[in-house]
Amino acid sequence: MIDEETLAQINGKYVCPPDAGPDWRALSESGVDMSLLEHALSLTPEQRLNEHQQMLDFLMSIHGAGLRNGTE
Amino acid sequence: MAQNSQEILTRLRKHGVDFVIIGDICCVYYGAPIAATLKIEICCRFDEAELRKIESAIGDLHPFHRLTTNKLPFVLTPGLAPGLKNLYLQTDEGTLDCLGEVAGVGTYDAVVKSSELYKLPYGDFRFLSIDGLIAAKKAIRLEKNGRLLAAIH
Repeated sequence: MIDEETLAQINGKYVCPPDAGPDWRALSESGVDMSLLEHALSLTPEQRLNEHQQMLDFLMSIHGAGLRNGTE
Repeated sequence: MAQNSQEILTRLRKHGVDFVIIGDICCVYYGAPIAATLKIEICCRFDEAELRKIESAIGDLHPFHRLTTNKLPFVLTPGLAPGLKNLYLQTDEGTLDCLGEVAGVGTYDAVVKSSELYKLPYGDFRFLSIDGLIAAKKAIRLEKNGRLLAAIH
């Protein structure tokens, strides 16, 4: 059985790490998805570059497609 | 580690998940400068049948709820589905956010109505319409969204 707090976190409640500083907390409160930053920090620089390149390749494949969609 | 968006989208489609691509990716789709966050965001129904399809699609990618402090694995345990409104997942193939509702647009049915179909080489996918995207970005006023709104206007 999942408790209420865990369910809230599953649905989107972010809990700052205990050692988070004021800047981290401020960004979190402003709506920035700090879990993505946590994930990035868990990677090596090479892994970060690899993820970034993969996403760039995907984005390049759809960039501007919505402007052309239905006009071709 | 990877952000293999094509793989995630293809898996969802192959398993029959009905979804609309939302979020920053749509800004790029409409020609905004590429500055999207590194994740796939979709809107879908949050009934048990649809959630089971998502579970089947990505279940072997070691998905976990990345916002939970104990990094709880994504497993639809009995009784969990009715309490779910969103999923914020990390998988072996990248980050996937599933939302049951888009602020400024509405629930899945409204999002589908405000979407358009686009053929990618690996399948047809629905993207949030530009009007829906603007409404969504206005509803969540982040500094970054202001820049993206300016770019797609």
